[in-house]
Order: sequence, then structure tokens, then C-alpha cells
Amino acid sequence: MNSYLLSAGAFFVLGTSAAFSHVTLETQEAAIGSTYKAVLRVPHGCEGKATTAVRVQIPEGVISVKPMPKPGWTLQVKKGRYEKSYQLHGQAVTSGAKQIDWSGGSLPDEFYDEFVFRGTLAADLPAGQTLYFPVVQECEGAAERWIEIPAAGQDEDALEYPAPGLKLAPKQ
Amino acid sequence: MIFWRRALFERARRCFCGRDMSAASLLRTGCTTGRAICLLAAIVLFAAIAAPGQAFAHAALVTTEPTDGAVLAQSPAQFSLTFSEPVSPLVLALVRPDGTPVPLTSFRLNAQTVNIDNPHRLGSGTHVLSWRVISADGHPVGGSVLFSIGAPGAAPAVSEAVDRGLRSAIWVGKVFLYVGLFLGVGGAFAIAWLAQGGRAGQLIVIAAILCGLVAAPLSLGLQGLDALGAPLARLAQPDIWKAGLATSFGRTVLVALVALGLGLLSLVGPRGGAKLFALAGLAGVGAALAASGHASAAEPQWLTRPMVFLHGAGIAFWAGALAPLGLAMRRKPVEAAPFLRRFSQAILPVVAVLAAAGIVLAVVQVQASAALLETAYGRLLLVKLALLLFLFTLAAINRWKLTGPAEAGETEVQKKLVRSIGIEMLIVLAIFGVAAGWRFTPPPRALAIAAAQPASVHIHTAKAMADLSITPGHVGPVAASIVIMTGDFGPLDAEQVTLVLSKPDSGIEPIKRAATKPGDGSWRVDDLVVPVPGRWTARLDILVSDFEMVKIEAPIEIRPK
Repeated sequence: MNSYLLSAGAFFVLGTSAAFSHVTLETQEAAIGSTYKAVLRVPHGCEGKATTAVRVQIPEGVISVKPMPKPGWTLQVKKGRYEKSYQLHGQAVTSGAKQIDWSGGSLPDEFYDEFVFRGTLAADLPAGQTLYFPVVQECEGAAERWIEIPAAGQDEDALEYPAPGLKLAPKQ
Repeated sequence: MIFWRRALFERARRCFCGRDMSAASLLRTGCTTGRAICLLAAIVLFAAIAAPGQAFAHAALVTTEPTDGAVLAQSPAQFSLTFSEPVSPLVLALVRPDGTPVPLTSFRLNAQTVNIDNPHRLGSGTHVLSWRVISADGHPVGGSVLFSIGAPGAAPAVSEAVDRGLRSAIWVGKVFLYVGLFLGVGGAFAIAWLAQGGRAGQLIVIAAILCGLVAAPLSLGLQGLDALGAPLARLAQPDIWKAGLATSFGRTVLVALVALGLGLLSLVGPRGGAKLFALAGLAGVGAALAASGHASAAEPQWLTRPMVFLHGAGIAFWAGALAPLGLAMRRKPVEAAPFLRRFSQAILPVVAVLAAAGIVLAVVQVQASAALLETAYGRLLLVKLALLLFLFTLAAINRWKLTGPAEAGETEVQKKLVRSIGIEMLIVLAIFGVAAGWRFTPPPRALAIAAAQPASVHIHTAKAMADLSITPGHVGPVAASIVIMTGDFGPLDAEQVTLVLSKPDSGIEPIKRAATKPGDGSWRVDDLVVPVPGRWTARLDILVSDFEMVKIEAPIEIRPK
């Protein structure tokens, strides 16, 4: 109990600021089979430097992905084949966006911004598990890679650069 | 996955040649042989007490597979030991968890690496890979590597105690070998070349040669015991002698026996050949010393071996002449005058060559002057230098103050000269004792090589593996070299590699450095300083692709400086 309180206290003091400094998703839980609007929150640059590009890798099972254009940023979508075929509105979908790049912009360290895309969470994704969207944040001459995925049983808080995660809820 | 056990690690790289020779037993053995030997023993006792606690190998163990303290999932098919210089294995054994030793006889030498086949399937528990090898200087070193199958258990008991009686015997054998070579063969040379028909001191010289003739083969057997780590009781067994003969000291003994034989022949053989035999014997003394030992094994060989030869032959010339000359002076001062004249004419260039060779060897061996005080080898050298200073002072007085009047026939001066020569003899014996002590102290040159050895670790996971070496493997400014591969030994073309060194128990924040690619397929970190010794955790963050990072880590032991 004591150690729980202690660690809870530690989380309160250290954890909140740490969580704030990570690139995260605004909505961190969504049901499988639903449409999901992903809002990537970029709270700061890389060690004080302005952010110039944000790249996100779309995990397998997130289909029909469309990014939202952003004024001042060049948008690029890298498409590829999915590992398997998915059913969407009665049609087979076998390829789509695998990576989205927003580049050529400049987001100073002292400002905050969001990068948005939308997609469908395939109905056969495993509910209860977490889906990770690895993000590379590029700055002038530096980069921060929010790409760490916890190993089985590993505490997510122990990671230095965790990938933004989305908890999959059962189908509604 | 590799696990480590802290306590076990300390057992690796244990060296059998250190300072822990028994000074007390040396003293005991020595004192029975007379007061002069007692003096030597006292000097070596002093050196042994003053020696530092840490023992170093002559050939240093660099890496092992499995690593010391490793926990393996299954029985390895092979072991490998990599040293700082080429070695030949003497005894390789695997000690099972229940303490039963299994000799490992199938091995291959590949440059500095010994690859050993493991013929048995090992059960779970902690095993000890016990090794004993010999390096080019002819001095055996040994140690053990502990590893476990499945999970670590209690380490089996391995007897590694230093055999003090054996060490004392080796030392005494070496002193007597020196007596035979320098006083015996050198004395025979003096009688043949300088005494002009006088035979004074012949009995002592013959006695010295016989002493050498006994000590030389005995030393070979003792060397064999040391090589195999066997107790004195096994001296009679043939494999002991075979092992001794196979080391480079075996060559020394064979050449020494020839030199001793030639010396004896020049004294008791046909008169006509006496000079030739004596000269060949003197050359044999130099050759015997140049055949093995620290100094002869040092690089550059084209320099050190001839220097050891000259040094040895010079000592034999000088030290060998002392007894015949002193005795000739005491018994027949008038007849001894030409002997004295010839000796004093020749001794200056001989001592010049002897000293020059000695200085060259000392510079090669000691390298940095600080090592004179910091290492046991350096302290023995200082003791030897002090004795030499005393000896040179006496010799100079003899040469420039006493020789002239003695040759002119002043009896008082002649008596003084004889007494002085007697003291010189004692100092020479003491120097032999000190020099024989070097058998147990690796030279600073070898210590520097050992200190410069990298700390290495092999990290193997399913996703990636890496060989990380930190050079030198001690605290201070270091460079890290990293070779990465995929988990199944394939090439791994990483986009970026970051080295993170941390030591949580010392309250040091992780030291994080991005590695660069020098272009030879490896990764390097140059601007690194390791502040404290001990067990660090080395983590490698390998960026396999834009979105995939593999992190692998293992403990790495950083030595104190």
C-alpha cells in the first residue's frame, strides 16, 4: 500500500510532466470496427529545436486512412499493401496508407500543434490490446523517435520514447 | 539472453604468477644454504612484501565464449578463449557442478584464440572452465571461467592455491642455474683466457658448473610442474618433464646444459681445445638466457634477444672471473699479476656493453619511469640497480685505486683487493637472487599491454546481437567499438546506433553517445570518459529502420586504472 502511494506520488510529481512531453494521441481508446479520428499532439520540439516534420507509421489493421492537410506543411502519404485483405462496407481492401508525412513546416519549441488523420479500425483487430502508432519527430539537425513499443509485461512508463498507443475496445 | 552474477566475475582472469610466492618459505629454504643466500632471500622477501596485491598475466585473457558468469540455455558445443598474445594451452579442464573435472583435449589454435571442443552434453548447474596456458616468455598463466546451464547453482570447488614450495624451489633452481652459468661457465672462460695457465679457483668453478648441471634439469622439471599446475610430488612423472621441455624454458635448459658441458670440458678436457670450448661456453650462456624469459619475449625481438645475449655473456665474463682472480691473488700474488692486468684491461668494454644492453632491456621492459615504483618488477629492478651501484663503486675502486699498486706488488693493497673481490662475489650472488625473482613478476611492458586490453561484451538477443569493446577497459578516456549483427548472424545495416552507459548504484546518470560509422562496418564512440570502475550497464539503441529501434544491454566490467 505504502509503495503504491509512493509510486502514485512519484507519478504525480514526475509522471505528469513526462506524459506532457511525449507525443501522444488525444483519444487513447476506441472500439474496433469503428472510424477513428487520430489527433497526434506534439507538445514541443526536439531539445529546444523547432519541429520541421512529423511522420507516423500506420499499424496493420488501421485501414482507409486519410490525413488532414495542414496549412504550411507538405503532406505526403506512402501507400502499400496490407498484410491481408480487410472487409470495408462489403468490399475487400488490400492496400492503403502505410505512412503519413507532414514536412516543410516549422513548429517552434514554445508552441503546440496537432496533426490529424482518420481511419477505420478493422473489425478483426484484437480487442483489449493496444495498437501503436510510431512517430518520428524531425527538427533542424535532430530527431526524436517516439517509436518504442513495450515488450510483453514491460511497463509503458519505463520507456523513454514510447510510441503513441490506442487501446482497442470491443466492438459496439 | 545473458545474465550475470557479480560474485562470480571476480574469479575470471586469475593469474597464477603474482606476488604470492611465500616469502617465508623462501627464507627458510634460503637460509640453509648459507648467509649469502639468506641475504638474497631477504631482498626477495622485501620485494614480495612491497609488491602490489593485484596479479597480472603475462598473456592477458581478453574475451571468452561463454563469457564469465554467463547463464546459457543449453550446453555449448565449443568454448573459446582469446588472449592478448599467442599462447599454447597446457591444461584445459571442465569442472562439473559436482566438482568432477573433465579434461578437454580437443582444441585448435587460431592466432590468439584457443577454440576448445566440448565433447560432453552438460547438465544444468554452474560449470568451471579451468585453463592454464603458456605464453612466449615461457611463463605459465591460468584462470577460470564460470558459466551456468539453465540457472546458476553453487560453483564447484576448484583448487587454485599457489604452490609456495614449488615457487621457492623454482627460485632456488634459477639462482643455482645462474651460479652454474655465470660463475661456472664464466669462471671456465676466465681460467682459459685470462689466467695464463694459472688454475686457481678451478675447484670452485667446477663446483659451480656441477651445481648448474644439477639445477638445469631440475629447473626443467619444476617448470613442468608449474606449467601443469601440478604439486611437487608429481616431479617424477614423465608428462611433467615433457611439459617443461615443451615450454620456451626447455630451450634455455638445453642450451644451458650444452654451455655447462663446454665449460667443464674446457677445464678438464684436452688443453688445446680449452680456449675454444670456453668461448663457445660463454656464447652458450648468452644464448641460453636469450632463449626464454620476459626480456627475450619482448618486442622488438631483433633487439631484445641480442641484448639479452650480450648481457648474459657480459655477466658471465665479469662474474666468472671474480672467483679465479680473487683466489689467484690470495695464493700467488706474483703469478696473478698478469691475470689481473688482462682482466682489468678487458673489463671496461665488457661492462660498457653489459650496462648498455641492460639499460636497453630495462627501457623496453619498464617503459614508464613510474612503473619502477608501482610494479613488483620495477621494485626488483630498483633493488638490482642499488646492488649494481654498490658493485660498480667497488669495481671502480678496485680498478682505479687498487689494481695499479696490486700489480706493482703491494701486499697490503693485494689483500684489500682480495677482500673487495670477495664482497663483489656476494653482491653478484644477491643480484642473481633478485634477477631470479623476476620469474614471478610480469614486466611493466606486459602490464601495460594487459591494462590496454579492452573491456568486451557480447550481447546476443533474438532481434540483434553486438560485440562491444571499450578500449582501454579501464577508467578514463576510452573509445568504444561496436559491431552489430542480426540475431541470426546476418548483416544489420542500422540507421543509427547509440551507446548508453549507466551505473545506477553509483548515482551516475546514463552517459549517452551517438556512434559514428568510420567506414569499416563497425560503429565507434570516441568522446567517452568512464569516470568510475566497476560493473556498468551498456545499452545499445540500434535504429534498425525509421520506425524500429532495438535496445539490447549487458553488464560490462570496467577496471580501475
